[in-house]
Amino acid sequence: MGRGEGMVIGGRVILKLAPNAIADLAHDRVDALVSATNGKTSTTRLLATAVEQAGPVISQHTGANMTSGVAVTLASGDPAARAVLEVDEAYLPAIFAATHPKTLLLGNLSRDQLDRMSEVAMVARKWRDMLSGATSTTVVANADDPSIAWAARHAPNVVWVGAGQVWTADSAVCLDCGALLARDETRWFCPQCGFTRPETSWNLEYNGEFGTVHGPDGQSYELHLQLPGRFNAANGALALVATVALGLDPAESARRMAGVESVSGRYAVVTVGELTIRLLLAKNPAGWSELVDVMPPAPTPVIVTINSNAADGRDPSWLWDVPFERLRGRQVVATGDRRADLAVRLLHAEVDHVVIEDPYAPNAPLPAGMRELDVVDCAATYTAFHHLRTTADQR
Amino acid sequence: MSTLTLASIYPTLLGTYGDGGNVMVLRHRAALHGIDVDIVIVDPGEPVPESADVYVLGGGEDSAQTAAANALRADGALTRAAEHGAVVLAICAGYQLLGEYFPDSTSTPTAGLGILDIRTDRLPQRAVGELAATPKAPFDQILTGYENHAGATHLGSGARALGMVRAGIGNGDGSEGATSGHVIGTYLHGPCLARNPQIADTILSWATGRELAFIEEPEVTALREERLKTVLG
Repeated sequence: MGRGEGMVIGGRVILKLAPNAIADLAHDRVDALVSATNGKTSTTRLLATAVEQAGPVISQHTGANMTSGVAVTLASGDPAARAVLEVDEAYLPAIFAATHPKTLLLGNLSRDQLDRMSEVAMVARKWRDMLSGATSTTVVANADDPSIAWAARHAPNVVWVGAGQVWTADSAVCLDCGALLARDETRWFCPQCGFTRPETSWNLEYNGEFGTVHGPDGQSYELHLQLPGRFNAANGALALVATVALGLDPAESARRMAGVESVSGRYAVVTVGELTIRLLLAKNPAGWSELVDVMPPAPTPVIVTINSNAADGRDPSWLWDVPFERLRGRQVVATGDRRADLAVRLLHAEVDHVVIEDPYAPNAPLPAGMRELDVVDCAATYTAFHHLRTTADQR
Repeated sequence: MSTLTLASIYPTLLGTYGDGGNVMVLRHRAALHGIDVDIVIVDPGEPVPESADVYVLGGGEDSAQTAAANALRADGALTRAAEHGAVVLAICAGYQLLGEYFPDSTSTPTAGLGILDIRTDRLPQRAVGELAATPKAPFDQILTGYENHAGATHLGSGARALGMVRAGIGNGDGSEGATSGHVIGTYLHGPCLARNPQIADTILSWATGRELAFIEEPEVTALREERLKTVLG
């Protein structure tokens, strides 16, 4: 049993013995809840690290972000420590009601695990209801995601952040009136009912290397994160603004966040069999649409691992929404429980591929040149990622 | 020979479950058969071309489904094209909106296009999971895919089921999908044509007016075998 599963079972025991455990354990010490389709774990780690400037912080270390994971996190460690917690999108309304957090960070919503999760519009509707009358919480919300803006627009206290959003396919339609949203260089708006991207007080600028967060009074903070990519700069921007809402020093926050090397194995370099791989978590089309830019250019071969366990989503149809065409010009190793689905997708994307059940076996027929790479990028869905991460050292 | 025109209808509204893949599969298999295709993406607000050979509609959320149905009814071209024998493939929410009516986000019956003789209301419980069905003519390969919907679809005398359910829910009465003339509606995601290439080749046969020999691809066969073994044992 992995440590995360042990935490979940421990949490279930706590909640069985004390159904109100989360509210009792939370009392007044939850500084922040973090939710989003993508980036919850990284944003939470960045924020927890920044908040440590004010004293001890408890937070998940395993990604256990449903009711039982939250309960066991609150039950462990210093009972007076501040809490910074990531929360699953579907569980957020219940956990928000029980914890009364000082801040709530809302990053993005997109299609993910549609067999378990409601469709995006339904999640946004539940969040909007949750926020009505939430006077004691400051919502730090990404104004560039129309679903987030719609969910948070009537919340009593909102700080809008222009954190960016590359993936727009799940916010084509105005959630208010059903018309097609229009977009120009800097904003989105509904031509029918007038619902428009909120005016932001904080904005992220990303230059391909690092982000700069511009504040309302002309101040700006550079984010030199070790976590790669535009999306991690967006995660860092939301976390930095949350620390301002918590009354902390944003310059100190930026400095502390720059020290975060790897979050729960994301981008960690591990050895599996004879290969040294960099672990990339890629679990839905929105995540993939930004991840391809982080990979080395073609013709460098890569490994893609697709599973469809409960935590991955049972239906891998989403592979057809991923722009795999951008991997053309290189060999892709297709592996994981759903490697047959991936192979058919890559066939249609005209991406050279080889299907291998265990690419880490000594005699695996890997693409030419892969064994010679110092580090092979391996993108994997949630359970495949965690399997690699937890077994890497023992193999 | 002349080029086939494939119209992808409102992919921004009807494309939640990877159904855009159906257009990729048609393009891919057309190339295998030596057929040139031209793909037209029709966004909401743009007129639907009346002269396309094949129209493809995907699944979508409730509010998007209602918006798409209203726009297509006002436009009228899809209905006219279907009457004139164009091929239509519609998945899930797209399938429902081809019928007489379907439930909107508040379960209120909403007028569809009336292209298929079907009516949709709500299943007692959402149908989520693998779907497999024994096909009816003209298909003879087992239908396979993934369903995720809350619709109970009732077929009238003017439509025939695509197949009979062996695993999953489908229309809710033991049948799956509906077809009439050159129109096909189904709950199969996966996407449908990637996992059921025989339907793709049938669509291309209808559109070109010539019999096409089925072309087998090992990757696709491997996927079908793996899925059917998992679902049917």
